[in-house]
Amino acid sequence: MRRLISACLCTGRKYELYSMDWDLKEELRDCLVAAAPYGGPIALLRNPWRKEKAASVRPVLEIYSASGLPLASLLWKSGPVVSLGWSAEEELLCVQEDGGVLVYGLHGDFRRHFSMGNEVLQNRVLDARIFHTEFGSGVAILTGAHRFTLSANVSDLKLRRMPEVPGLQGAPSCWTALCQDRVAHILLAVGPDLYLLDQSACSAVTPSGLAPGVSSFLQMAVSFTYRHLALFTDTGYIWMGTASLKEKLCEFNCNIRAPPKQMVWCSRPRSKERAVVVAWERRLMVVGDAPESIQFVLDEDSYLVPELDGVRIFSRSTHEFLHEVPVASEEIFKIASMAPGALLLEAQKEYEKESQKADEYLREIQELGQLTQAVQQCIEAAGHEHRPDMQKSLLRAASFGKCFLDRFPPDSFVRMCQDLRVLNAIRDYHIGIPLTYSQYKQLTIQVLLDRLVLRRLYPLAIQICEYLRLPEVQGVSRILAHWACYKVQQKDVSDEDVARAINQKLGDTPGVSYSDIAARAYGCGRTELAIKLLEYEPRSGEQVPLLLKMKRSKLALSKAIESGDTDLVFTVLLHLKNELNRGDFFMTLRNQPMALSLYRQFCKHQELETLKDLYNQDDNHQELGSFHIRASYAAEERIEGRVAALQTAADAFYKAKNEFAAKATEDQMRLLRLQRRLEDELGGRFLDLSLHDTVTTLILGGHNKRAEQLARDFRIPDKRLWWLKLTALADLEDWEELEKFSKSKKSPIGYLPFVEICMKQHNKYEAKKYASRVGPEQKVKALLLVGDVAQAADVAIEHRNEAELSLVLSHCTGATDGATADKIQRARAQAQKK
Amino acid sequence: MAFPHRLDAPELPDFSMLKRLARDQLIYLLEQQHEVDKLYKVENKPAVSSSEQLCFLVRPRIKNMRYVASLVNADKLAGRTRKYKVIFSPQKFHACEMVLEEEGVYGDVSCDEWAFSLLPLDVDLLSMELPEFFRDYFLEGDQRWINTVAQALHLLSTLYGPFPNCYGIGRCAKMSYELWRTLEEEEDGETKGRRPEIGHIFLLDRDVDFVTALCSQVVYEGLVDDTFRIKCGSVDFGPEVTSSDRSLKVLLNAEDKVFNEIRNEHFSNVFGFLSQKARNLQAQYDRRRGMDIKQMKNFVSQELKGLKQEHRLLSVHIGACESIMKKKTKQDFQELIKTEHALLEGFNIRESTSYIEEHIDRQVSPIESLRLMCLLSITENGLIPKDYRSLKTQYLQSYGPEHLLTFSNLRRAGLLTEQAPGDTLTAVESKVSKLVTDKAAGKITDAFSSLAKRSNFRAISKKLNLIPRVDGEYDLKVPRDMAYVFSGAYVPLSCRVIEQVLERRSWQGLDEVLRLLNCSVTKEDKASSESLRLILVVFLGGCTFSEISALRFLGREKGYRFIFLTTAVTNSARLMEAMSEVKA
Repeated sequence: MRRLISACLCTGRKYELYSMDWDLKEELRDCLVAAAPYGGPIALLRNPWRKEKAASVRPVLEIYSASGLPLASLLWKSGPVVSLGWSAEEELLCVQEDGGVLVYGLHGDFRRHFSMGNEVLQNRVLDARIFHTEFGSGVAILTGAHRFTLSANVSDLKLRRMPEVPGLQGAPSCWTALCQDRVAHILLAVGPDLYLLDQSACSAVTPSGLAPGVSSFLQMAVSFTYRHLALFTDTGYIWMGTASLKEKLCEFNCNIRAPPKQMVWCSRPRSKERAVVVAWERRLMVVGDAPESIQFVLDEDSYLVPELDGVRIFSRSTHEFLHEVPVASEEIFKIASMAPGALLLEAQKEYEKESQKADEYLREIQELGQLTQAVQQCIEAAGHEHRPDMQKSLLRAASFGKCFLDRFPPDSFVRMCQDLRVLNAIRDYHIGIPLTYSQYKQLTIQVLLDRLVLRRLYPLAIQICEYLRLPEVQGVSRILAHWACYKVQQKDVSDEDVARAINQKLGDTPGVSYSDIAARAYGCGRTELAIKLLEYEPRSGEQVPLLLKMKRSKLALSKAIESGDTDLVFTVLLHLKNELNRGDFFMTLRNQPMALSLYRQFCKHQELETLKDLYNQDDNHQELGSFHIRASYAAEERIEGRVAALQTAADAFYKAKNEFAAKATEDQMRLLRLQRRLEDELGGRFLDLSLHDTVTTLILGGHNKRAEQLARDFRIPDKRLWWLKLTALADLEDWEELEKFSKSKKSPIGYLPFVEICMKQHNKYEAKKYASRVGPEQKVKALLLVGDVAQAADVAIEHRNEAELSLVLSHCTGATDGATADKIQRARAQAQKK
Repeated sequence: MAFPHRLDAPELPDFSMLKRLARDQLIYLLEQQHEVDKLYKVENKPAVSSSEQLCFLVRPRIKNMRYVASLVNADKLAGRTRKYKVIFSPQKFHACEMVLEEEGVYGDVSCDEWAFSLLPLDVDLLSMELPEFFRDYFLEGDQRWINTVAQALHLLSTLYGPFPNCYGIGRCAKMSYELWRTLEEEEDGETKGRRPEIGHIFLLDRDVDFVTALCSQVVYEGLVDDTFRIKCGSVDFGPEVTSSDRSLKVLLNAEDKVFNEIRNEHFSNVFGFLSQKARNLQAQYDRRRGMDIKQMKNFVSQELKGLKQEHRLLSVHIGACESIMKKKTKQDFQELIKTEHALLEGFNIRESTSYIEEHIDRQVSPIESLRLMCLLSITENGLIPKDYRSLKTQYLQSYGPEHLLTFSNLRRAGLLTEQAPGDTLTAVESKVSKLVTDKAAGKITDAFSSLAKRSNFRAISKKLNLIPRVDGEYDLKVPRDMAYVFSGAYVPLSCRVIEQVLERRSWQGLDEVLRLLNCSVTKEDKASSESLRLILVVFLGGCTFSEISALRFLGREKGYRFIFLTTAVTNSARLMEAMSEVKA
């Protein structure tokens, strides 16, 4: 390629990125070509169907890096392809004639496919474009019926059928997808008319200030940011303006009427200069504001790739970048430039030559007070240089200038050095990502790392992370995790080796989730590997969901139990319950006491029958008995049902060798029946009273005989019976009966309780009767209770009991007891003498 | 009274942060999310509200879910449509969602979580307000709340720095500790490098020391709890206390100056203190006389309000005291205490047993009887078979057959058990201990695992010297050790263990005790913690006010400050009720 016209006003420059050795057998023009922006990969589909070649030969889809290194090559086995394009995630979208879109990864791995709808399927695809929006990547399709269908984001597919263009008979001469205000539109040209299609309407539009005489538009180009539009007309006239067509920026007449092969914008963000690159078979023309254009002769077939800040041009042999020269570079490198940066660069060069001119230049800059600016210019320009030696000399100049500045913040210089180092590394032929500085800043380091990971360049990515000291979680860990996910896909390596290799590399790196990696392994159908990997997962809670997904429910159960999280255990339980048959489920529970108790609790509230089955299965007769006991008063209403439940309970208790409970249950059955009979015969409520209360109720009702009978039948101990009768009779205030009762035989509980209970009912008279009968040990207490302090004192003295004496003494209050108190004191004194 | 703290005792951390956190979150949930305007208590009855949406703030229990589901279904039947929101506190459980699903209302209800687990009841007392923890864990073996405990510990350590020394006794303590460590490790770096404020943390399972919780409380705060039931740091004093026809809700915490001085006192001192206080108050009122106008103005504007406030509090507490005295100083109570002390010391067992029998026969109180039986069982390492049967029979005759289930519960929890027949306890005990010290005897220990629930109280009591030797009268006014909280008869086991560990700065020399207590965890980081005298004590399954008082006393004596974190404040009655089966 030779430069034709060097004297130009439009400041553009072109440099070689790579010399390609991709050894193409075909001409580019025979291929469908797609190159991803931001120095992305190039896809070629050779032998497309439109050429009437031998149909028997299957076409080959090839993917190369920007430097021409082959990444993938595969035989195309699907239907005819109309268009290729790369998504923002660097996935290759292949639009087939039938509207199906196949999605491939960078390495030719098939990802998924989706369809653009029935309408497209019926009418076939005439033309298709892949475009990028802020949401992602979109596909626009022109069907055989000359209708448009588009989806603004293929990862969240929503098809939109655009309205019809009135009177459209043939295919539009050219069209493009536009993106304005976050909505995708279609702009198309039919003869001399332009139409804008949005979701609802089709409106005719006219570019403002379009030169007259246009009968057809041959080509249109939208800028990278969708802000500008260029139209190439059949008169060789180029209109350049805003995408809304409302404002014309400039126009140019190139006098070539042949339709160009490609037309793309070449401008950098925030630049005032506009330029469009137009390519014909053998000619490349850069046109812009200026009356003159720059022209290049193309020696071979070339393809243009629009970029954020320029155009990449690749052919069979080379890959070049054409861009507008950035201001800083222009200032420095312009011939005879007196810009501070230029002077500083000169000064540094002289300084290296040990010439005193260095001082003169430096002085000149300093006199103008522009040293800071000079340094900044040099730093900025270095960023825009492709060749490392140029970068170095500019940075050296900046560093030189910095020495003469007092307080120049070092971070811009440091950051530029770091960025350039990263950029030079990825621009390397072997990596093949020719990013410019502006593209790199736009893309961000995170996305760049993603792209390196996508290319499986894990070591480089990690080196970059370490070099830039990115936080582990965002940097190294993330990349290692990606690496591990890739590693699990290597089917030729054994599970053990993969698991070990991954663990060796990852260790306990924070932020790496082994369960995510295991999920990936499972996704590749390697369940065993997934289980091995899960072993490395320190959080057992994380292991469980995947294990469940892999149908390793039992393992999941033990992991869940290990985690100590009952909720997790429960989740697994319900899974198991649905997955296993009842018997197996119960068996599993049996080996896991914690899970069992959890499930029992759930059953207690939700599934009583299951609870019974659980106990049955375990031969847990004790619990089974308890279960029926509870049922006897909670679930059953009728007396027969209740007795039956108790009978079952008693049987169970016998089986459990719990004779006590069995007997108690049988007693209860008897009592229930009896209570029922009592209710029938005597009226009143007896059911559900305890034995004690039943007898009490009988006595209170005056049925003493019945009470005695019941007491005998149920072998109520004497002591209880006495307490019971005593309380009941006192409650009735049936003193006569009480006295009779007290004399029926010798009281097993003594007579002090009689005294107490009478006093409780405030019947001192009755109380005194019993006080005399109280045994010697409690006599003092009894006498005190009835208020006979004097006699109490006598008894206490007689007993010679110190404790009793003090007890009586403490009751000696009031004047009347004065004598008694003296008596006690005297007795005490006497006792001490002895 | 109310001894001041030693000068080197640390300041308590400020818990208002916890309150703020919880409050803000709840307000956010209620107002921002669901625009709640009225609050009702969840009861088992239909909701009377014409509101367009219902919002439930509930514990994640199946019972509550069924209630919500029944409401929703009732609305559906009536053809009403409203929005339902369930806010679970402290967290949502899968089982709850499952119930909603099974009841067919999952789609109608939306769920949320309120991660509220720590309620500061007082300057040194945090409660998780999970009274169900005790039954869920110690009876049903449900470990769901352990995660909540771990979360709570994690929250505390993020707010107040890491805990250098951890000690724990019990299986639950161990699990909580491990879960909590995992949480800490997962979020490493947050607490790293922070200066620890709390030097030691003790985790204690309630089942390690049932005895203390089962004893009648005689310290004022404990007595108030036993008599009137303190709920969430406040108590409802009925007419018999207020001597009016209205009942009065009183907040009991350090803010109440009168209460703060008597809460930790043995009850026998309280009345004297209160009357002294009343006299002082009167004297201060009396100063009015002979004041000139200016002084009077000063008095009214500055002091009067404080005096009136104090006056009000004083009369409340005097009322409470009277009411307690009426109930507790009767002969019955004296005898009860006497029996308890006999049980603790292990003498006159026969007499105590017949006392309990009489207690049951006379139907004094179902809960009290149960408590005494449990106390007897634990201190004696199980009842002898004959007593076991006869006491149970008596109890069933008094209170009905459903208590067969209560006994089965108590046995499972290890509260009321039967001694192995034919083998006296001490013989088994010494055999097992020999085997355990023999390292080769692992298998045999398994065989004796049924003994795990044994309390070993007598042996522990001897080792730790829990029953102080009596020489002369124990001066309850000037207590010499923690036994004062039980009238000088018994040092609470839980508190004694803590005291011993703090004294020895490790478990060293306590091996035998540890073996008897079964399970322990430790993490020590001696270097950094010597100077830290702030101690967090976590009671899993509840703690009693007596234990709190005892440790407060220990703190004053030794210059520590204790912070208490409990799943709930409990007492003997609450424990027994949790184990009881009652007809619904």
